[in-house]
Amino acid sequence: MPQNRNKRIELFIANLTNVIVHRILEIAVDNKEIASKYKKEIEASLKLTKKYREQINPIQSPLPEKQALAIRQKLLNKAEIRLSSRISQGYKNLHLDQVEEFVEAALKELKII
Amino acid sequence: MDIIAKVSRGTKMDQIYLPKNRSGLYLGSYVTIQAIIPPKSKETLFFYHISKLEPIKQKIVEEVFSVIDQTIESYDNIILTGSFLEKGFHFNDLDLLLVTSDKIEAKPLEEAIEKITGIKTQVLIIDAKALLQGLAMDPLYQAMLSRCITKKRLIYRYQRSINYKLLDLHLLGSEALTRECDLLDGKEKYKLARNMVAIFLFLKGKKVTFKSIESEIQRKLWISSDEIKNNSGDKKIFRKTCQHLYNETFSLILNAAKSQQTNRIVHRKSH
Repeated sequence: MPQNRNKRIELFIANLTNVIVHRILEIAVDNKEIASKYKKEIEASLKLTKKYREQINPIQSPLPEKQALAIRQKLLNKAEIRLSSRISQGYKNLHLDQVEEFVEAALKELKII
Repeated sequence: MDIIAKVSRGTKMDQIYLPKNRSGLYLGSYVTIQAIIPPKSKETLFFYHISKLEPIKQKIVEEVFSVIDQTIESYDNIILTGSFLEKGFHFNDLDLLLVTSDKIEAKPLEEAIEKITGIKTQVLIIDAKALLQGLAMDPLYQAMLSRCITKKRLIYRYQRSINYKLLDLHLLGSEALTRECDLLDGKEKYKLARNMVAIFLFLKGKKVTFKSIESEIQRKLWISSDEIKNNSGDKKIFRKTCQHLYNETFSLILNAAKSQQTNRIVHRKSH
């Protein structure tokens, strides 16, 4: 059902946003050795993202261009909003310019684009 | 007939003297000589906040520690923690911390322990400095060491320090609880809830122990740990309470970021 599909896409985006924000935060941590120990923390979100992707057709090939672009844009907006809210509270070393690069890589990995 | 005797030095060959007055071991008979293995002295392990451990588990712990003893040349301490120390036999794996400054591969050690015990094992190799750093900054390290068995006595002193970026990274892992609990199994839910509650306690300046986490789960999420693990209880309420606690914890992190930033500015102005 299209309604279910839209819901799944929304949840896919929410979880993937979490993964992207996590990756950007990891870079912001001053102690890289410690930060690398926290890679496992995001496994639950990554697992859910993959689960949702498996429920969005077509599974094995990229989504239609219009839909893929819409997902990409939503992801960019959500990740930037979440990171900006942190920056406004005094967070240091958060590089918003890296968001696009991470979003592209993740979407390719999950066969959205 | 068994005779215990000492090997003594000879000029051309070493020898063992047998008493003339004996029954058996006649002249001309062939005998085997075997070294006596001295009995193992009973090892003292250190138990922290473990009221009871099943005897079979204790044997496993002794076996695991002896495997590490035989495999690793030098180390500062061995710490066993995690679900194995919970009552009963519902544990997932053996969680070990090997405290050493030597560069050691965890994989062969994990395999050696798994081969002997048949239990999936996770070994974290960590040096004493990193362990102290972890204890100062990471609530889960504090929780881990609040209930454990160690080879040597635990002596450490640290001052709690709030690294808001690390706590934020930590908390992000639990975000899945606020959206779609239904796709997570009970164990995953419990792990994420425990993580979130530990961060909350840490930020509130409270003690982070397995006991305090359990009671805070009940207080804040209105559900017992066992219910979460068994995936029972009202899912809607659980998601709501998780969302509430997540928001509360996240604002504590943002406050910490803000106050650290303000402190820095004040510090700069005063110089």
